[in-house]
Amino acid sequence: MPSQMATPSFQRAPLSADLTELRKVLPELLPILEAKSDWYGSILLERRSSKTYTANLKQTQMSENVSMGIVLRIYDGYTLFEQATDDIQADSLKKFALEFADRVSKSAAPSGATLRPYRPVSWKERLKANLDIEITSQISPEASAKAPVHFGVQFSRTPRQTTQQYFEQLKSIIHRCQALAPAAELESKELSFVMARQSFAEEESVFIDREANMSQTLYRIALTVITMSGADRTFMRLGGLGGLEVVDFTDTDLTEMLGNLKALKSAHKLDPGKYRVLFGPVLTGVLAHEAFGHSQEADTCARGRSKAWDLHKSGAIVGNEHATILNNPAIFSNGGKGYAAWGSYFFDEEGWLATEQVLLDKGVLRAPMTNLTSAIRLNIPRTANGKRESWANGVYTRQTNTYFSPGNKTLDELMSDLGDGFLALHPAGGMEDPKGMGIQVGISYLQEVKGGQLTGRVYKGPAGGDIQMTGYTPDVLNQIVAKSKIEFNTKAPDTAKHPFNDAGGCGKYHKEFVFAGCGGPYVLLDQVILG
Amino acid sequence: MWNLNELKSELKSHAQVKSWMITQENVHRRERYFMMDKAALVVDQDRNVHSQNIQVKIAVKLPGHPDRQGEISKKLFPAMPLKPQIESAIEAALQTDHKAWNLPSEIPQDLPVLQTTDPRMAEDLDSVTDQVTKRISQVVAKKKDTAFNSAELFLSVHNREFYLSNGLSHRSSQSRVYIEAAYSFAKKNAQGELESDEYLNTRWGVNFDDLALEEMFEETSDRAQHSLGLDKPVTGKYPVIIDADVLSTLFYSHVSQLSSANAYNELPSIAVGAEFIPESTGDLLTVTLDPSMPYGGDTIALSEQGLLQKPVKIVDKNRVISSLTDKQFADYLNKPATTSRGNVVVEPGQLNYSELTKHAPRVLEILQFSGLFVDPYSGTFSSEIRLARVYDNTKGTVSYIKGGSLSGSIRENFKGIRLSKNRIKRAHFESNSNQGHGYFGPDYALLSDVSIVG
Repeated sequence: MPSQMATPSFQRAPLSADLTELRKVLPELLPILEAKSDWYGSILLERRSSKTYTANLKQTQMSENVSMGIVLRIYDGYTLFEQATDDIQADSLKKFALEFADRVSKSAAPSGATLRPYRPVSWKERLKANLDIEITSQISPEASAKAPVHFGVQFSRTPRQTTQQYFEQLKSIIHRCQALAPAAELESKELSFVMARQSFAEEESVFIDREANMSQTLYRIALTVITMSGADRTFMRLGGLGGLEVVDFTDTDLTEMLGNLKALKSAHKLDPGKYRVLFGPVLTGVLAHEAFGHSQEADTCARGRSKAWDLHKSGAIVGNEHATILNNPAIFSNGGKGYAAWGSYFFDEEGWLATEQVLLDKGVLRAPMTNLTSAIRLNIPRTANGKRESWANGVYTRQTNTYFSPGNKTLDELMSDLGDGFLALHPAGGMEDPKGMGIQVGISYLQEVKGGQLTGRVYKGPAGGDIQMTGYTPDVLNQIVAKSKIEFNTKAPDTAKHPFNDAGGCGKYHKEFVFAGCGGPYVLLDQVILG
Repeated sequence: MWNLNELKSELKSHAQVKSWMITQENVHRRERYFMMDKAALVVDQDRNVHSQNIQVKIAVKLPGHPDRQGEISKKLFPAMPLKPQIESAIEAALQTDHKAWNLPSEIPQDLPVLQTTDPRMAEDLDSVTDQVTKRISQVVAKKKDTAFNSAELFLSVHNREFYLSNGLSHRSSQSRVYIEAAYSFAKKNAQGELESDEYLNTRWGVNFDDLALEEMFEETSDRAQHSLGLDKPVTGKYPVIIDADVLSTLFYSHVSQLSSANAYNELPSIAVGAEFIPESTGDLLTVTLDPSMPYGGDTIALSEQGLLQKPVKIVDKNRVISSLTDKQFADYLNKPATTSRGNVVVEPGQLNYSELTKHAPRVLEILQFSGLFVDPYSGTFSSEIRLARVYDNTKGTVSYIKGGSLSGSIRENFKGIRLSKNRIKRAHFESNSNQGHGYFGPDYALLSDVSIVG
């Protein structure tokens, strides 16, 4: 079923003129990168330009960033070699490619290793995949290595505002927070710090191999509002791919944030133990991401570092009937809204087209996500999960938007089912343990629920900080009681295809930061360890 | 392509520009990912990266507002024309609003010669990459009860040039090393099923010798062997031993409350004269910010605002005696500027490691957290426990545990802190920051009454 189509009121982000020109000379480098018969050569050109505007009670500030570089790649059947530079003048690239090819040709084949050559796929083969209409609608029938394809994210309200317009909006948010504070019973002196930050990034990339010549342009918009009272802190974060429609919010959102700040000032400390908890969408996203997101990254599997690979091969059951987890870089209508989710793109940084993938199906593990080399090593299908922090960093198998499949309950029904317990809405990080199958999900604070109703009391961790949910991943996934619909405020059938995914980030263990969508339905869990 | 002289000339040509700071960083990185292909050690990926970052911070005069100024931080791209980049930056800076401040009027002379770069890496990064690869091959080839899974090696050399509109110019360099290693251990359980678990070790450094590669791989293998089939901890409050990596993270976080930026922005801060740890009954902490430590993660001659950075004692026997104040906040708060960058150096305690483990009937030693999250404002921290040791001194046993979580507070759990008498160096770098962390201090500390849930 196709996602929401672009309507005439939408525009698509184009590829910049200078990159369009530079792209023309790049195919000339491919013969150098495929000088030997076993070599698979490819090229990634990337530019990320961003502007960040910040306002707080004392000042306004702005930063502009541009990161642009080219990655030349040779896979020789054993090793993926990359040579990257930000010296992207057309006349120096050929010399750069020749030096790179010379470096690779001098590299000895590893003794005892298996040769695994790679053949790139044609457009005909690419189009056999179950692609979203947002992707297929932008591919010309004549697409080939010599007929470039461009994918542009759709947007309705242009983010190309003046600096003055951005600052006026941010100052307005700060003034609104100050004006709304009394409604949250916060005295003005208690609101010690307010900050609003908005960023707009234009992310352009070009991927070329002997079969394809693709480009994409993504507009990444984010808005963060932080309010503090002493060391207590609440925040609101909005983000996605599109135009300014991504960061729409209401005074109700600000009032709720300020109300939570007031409640945090008299927060209780949680007694460590097992509790019944209703996780909100962002936290269920973190749970999915840390549970069978990271352990379903094929490079981790190929290194012998994930138990999920063995469990997949054995068909073991690792969760109950509610435990279905998906990864999907092709969410172009986020929770039914007219813009793409934070972790989406049209193709990954190794030129593979985005598709939805089920990672865990009612407790049964499916094949993992892959990048080029892990797919080759494990001899499993490629997926669009080859990502890198920037052109200057290496590529790994990484998640995009990871979430639980929706259930059939409304939020009111889940609150009633929760009875006495906690509502957890605010994330505070997480960590994976693919081999040991442990899990860590951080929660900023919990809201107490009695008889299905919020009591107004909030709880911090036993030492007054974040609360950590921990456990053995299969145990946690067997403790799921129920899940909400995508449109959780109504009993009517869902109209959106995918749950809403919020803006988040992800590290590979302790480094290599990338953007990742984080969302899903509400999930009710029983007997969860909190401390 | 334009050069730095043209950049400086362009900035000088604009009457609105009040001051500027330029940083150019040329980086050469070599990276290798190692893994096993059946019995063969292979390089899965091999990367060679050259990059140049030119960052400029521009302050502009705001017409009619002599006590205010506009500011922008902008990364410039040499392949794009210079003039439009500067003009758009100035135009944007004019829309911002800061309290005015001035760059230092004096230019530091006779800067110290610091050890910031491994000379072997500076000379030939490719050779060092090959040499380390050989060492990894040798250590992996050693027969063990555990299995080597993977390793990563990142080496980089950063050459920087730094220019301020007050006439200061400075060149420096820094090397960075990252190594990670993962080993796993497998055995059959009582039901005859094969179980396995792993241990991942990561380490950063400036000089390669500080990483002790072979020792690190051995430790990783040893800990993998102890990771399997473990129970969770029993819920309760424990005396807990943490190591230098954790201490470094916690100290860096807590020292940030001495920053004048926090005081100016009305964020949580600790004033000069106050206790660093309120009502401390344990070892009284003495902390120095030392930007001159050889091969430290934050060894640096000048602050980004052009002030000479010298070692400064910031906490003396638990009493805060200096804030961290760069020129901007010195002007804002009308106070003297101080050292604001440097490695955190902590004076040692009296006890050795063995004495720390015997300090209570039952002591839990964290060998590794899964993901330690620290709140710099409240001083609270928490994490799942990836691997820990329990010293039961009543029974005379040492056992391993895994899982559950720890929840702590620097203000509360450091009250009775006992520090080890041996000191060790640690470094850490984040990819999105030019500023590293360096630590030289006790290799272990014992915290009291830490909440653990199993």
